[in-house]
Amino acid sequence: MKLITHLNKLFLLAGLAVFASAASAKDIKLLNVSYDPTRELYQDFNTAFAKHWQAKTGDKVTVQQSHGGSGKQARSVIDGLEADVVTLALAYDVDAIAEKGRLLPADWQKRLPQNSSPYTSTIVFLVRKGNPKGIKDWNDLVKPGIGIIPANPKTSGAARWTYLAAWGYALRQNNGDEAKAKEFVANFYKNVPVFDTGARGATTTFIQRGIGDVLVGWENEAFLALKEQSAGGYELVVPSVSILAEPPVTVVDKVVKRRGTADVAKGYLDYLYSDEGQEIAARNYYRPRSAAVAAKFADKFPKLQFFTIDEVFGGWQKATKAHFADGGHFDQIQRK
Amino acid sequence: MNWKLLVVLPALAVAPTLTQPAAAQTPGSDAQKLLQRIDELEQKVKILERNRELDGEDAATKAKATPVVTAGSGGFSLNAPDKSYILKVRGYVQTDARFFPGDHSAGTVNDTFLIRRLRPILEGTVAEKYDYRIMLDFPSAVATAGGNNPLVQDAYVTAKFSPAFQVQVGKFKQPVGLERLQSGANMLFIERAYPTQLLPNRDLGIQIQGDLFDGTLSYQAGIFNGVQDGGSGDLETGFDDEKDIAARLFANPFKNSSVDSLKGLGLGISGTFGNQDSAAAPRGYTSAGQQAIYAYTAATVADGDHWRLSPQGYYYYGPFGILGEYAVSNQKVRNGATFGTLTHTAWQVAASYFITGEDNSFKAVTPQRTFSLGTGGWGAWELTGRVSGIDFDDQSFPLFAAPATATTGAFTWGVGVNWHLNRNVKLTLNYEQTDFESGTSPLLRNGEQAVFSRVQFSF
Repeated sequence: MKLITHLNKLFLLAGLAVFASAASAKDIKLLNVSYDPTRELYQDFNTAFAKHWQAKTGDKVTVQQSHGGSGKQARSVIDGLEADVVTLALAYDVDAIAEKGRLLPADWQKRLPQNSSPYTSTIVFLVRKGNPKGIKDWNDLVKPGIGIIPANPKTSGAARWTYLAAWGYALRQNNGDEAKAKEFVANFYKNVPVFDTGARGATTTFIQRGIGDVLVGWENEAFLALKEQSAGGYELVVPSVSILAEPPVTVVDKVVKRRGTADVAKGYLDYLYSDEGQEIAARNYYRPRSAAVAAKFADKFPKLQFFTIDEVFGGWQKATKAHFADGGHFDQIQRK
Repeated sequence: MNWKLLVVLPALAVAPTLTQPAAAQTPGSDAQKLLQRIDELEQKVKILERNRELDGEDAATKAKATPVVTAGSGGFSLNAPDKSYILKVRGYVQTDARFFPGDHSAGTVNDTFLIRRLRPILEGTVAEKYDYRIMLDFPSAVATAGGNNPLVQDAYVTAKFSPAFQVQVGKFKQPVGLERLQSGANMLFIERAYPTQLLPNRDLGIQIQGDLFDGTLSYQAGIFNGVQDGGSGDLETGFDDEKDIAARLFANPFKNSSVDSLKGLGLGISGTFGNQDSAAAPRGYTSAGQQAIYAYTAATVADGDHWRLSPQGYYYYGPFGILGEYAVSNQKVRNGATFGTLTHTAWQVAASYFITGEDNSFKAVTPQRTFSLGTGGWGAWELTGRVSGIDFDDQSFPLFAAPATATTGAFTWGVGVNWHLNRNVKLTLNYEQTDFESGTSPLLRNGEQAVFSRVQFSF
């Protein structure tokens, strides 16, 4: 049986060699699965974090980014896309990863400050130069002949925030009358000529394809479009009231455990709350949570009234069931 | 003034003179209306174009997520778009006829039709790196008393860490006999030659394997339950607690060279080593016609070291192919208190030639023209020839094997023809004649003439 003994040793040596090579790796790769318009934010943030982490630990971190419609991204993670962290548009999409993918605990949102949302945004309007259709508030959008460009609420996080912002505005205008709110939102979507699957696609439709009179979507996306269109072909219109969007972030527990990246993934998200992380968010037109950083960038973000999804809709679970589930209000509106 | 006005205004200026009195016209307001109409139409065109673009993106996205179903000569498959998950449904059935024209011994019943192999196969990939294969067998006279052994031929998973390092676990062929490692659907002759009988068949174990040096050298090494010569099993019951190790090196040294005539040369060596103790007599050996020619006496058991060695090789060039292997099996046996170490040896050389010009191969061959009465295609015709011999240790007699029913050796020559009608249908006709060195039974005394034929459907 000497041969068997030798063979066992060979297996052991092979295993040790594989283990040793893995343990000595200095380059760490993280995958951040995010939603459509955060490309620029995380390009800046990843560079800063890599420097920060190398200074802190000596390890070199390369953060890979994946962007797409928030719901679609969540589905990809559930289906096996190995995201170390997710930075999505909706808490509902992260809930889906927790419930359907069982990749993180159900109470994930309590693990980081401010509902695990290190920055916020809202829904605003971008119109063509001179605002030829005279759009000032939500009620201007439902007038006949207005071409509105939002994304599809079935696939886009921004679009869901948009939908809920319009609904919340209509409720306020009609003393909480749900039927009138539904009619308002139905008229809103009658004016939509093109449904993109994501926020970035909607921007493309409005700016590059020249379709529609008003782009309704993320504030950060509108600011970015204004910055990139230096010729001044567009104007920002801030409605009287809008929804406070809280895009959440979290570590994907099972993935980081499997990949051995738990510490760096946690450090990555913690860094979003740091002063430097908050400033990077603000520079990329996301409203920072830090009061100090918010004060520093106060003149950058217009003031308006906010309502939250919890206040008006009772949270994402209830809102999704009532409005976006199959057969919900959005489907009913679309069938008309 | 934008370009639309440049186009529209001259047109408006000319148009009234052709159709109506000039005084009735208000060119300014008409121009504005026309411009507005053009803008609206332009928006509609843009919307149509964008929606079409989005429909295309949507279709492309759906195509990426839609499983791909294929059906063809290689079977049926269901693939994830990125092929990280694959399910293939394959299988083959072999219907044989066996006739022994020179066999007129009273009481011998051996001319028969039979289902030699009936094998459904499920195989594929899970999570990109893990291949699996399940092959069952339902041949004639399958013995259910053997548990899974005769029914589950293959059941294994291969973890493909890299081409050079893979781990295979489950029940599969031990990496030893060259002809044994050839699929039962691709053999030259209907039955395998003598060396295969001295070497292990399928067994349960774990094996590392891989291809090195751009595929010019392959290796396998594994630990298995251990089986008797020619045996197959997935249980230790009735055998022993010891394990066998098996290993094989096989080189295709000129595989990537520019010399076409050497690309098809492959040489290798394989072997097993273990300590085997059996509760009953080890299995015996059969002739080319699958008739018993050597049986251990009932009181003989395996009891001690058992090693095997098999140098092997093949050469394929154009329509010609030749395959050869040698096998030696050295087994310590015991009858009562008497021990013996028996060394049996076997060899074979088999060659074939495609008279229809196909490239010969160790694997399945695709006819250049499939058989079809309508189009004149005749499929692929392959002529085959084989010589094979086996020599049993003289020390077998009389204690470990009975001289009357066991021979000391056999020599077989055979010829045949394979007609590959297409990738899925193959007809085979073999004639093999065997002479035995010793033995007093009618078979061993008279020799054997066997005419075997096979109809094989595979997909």
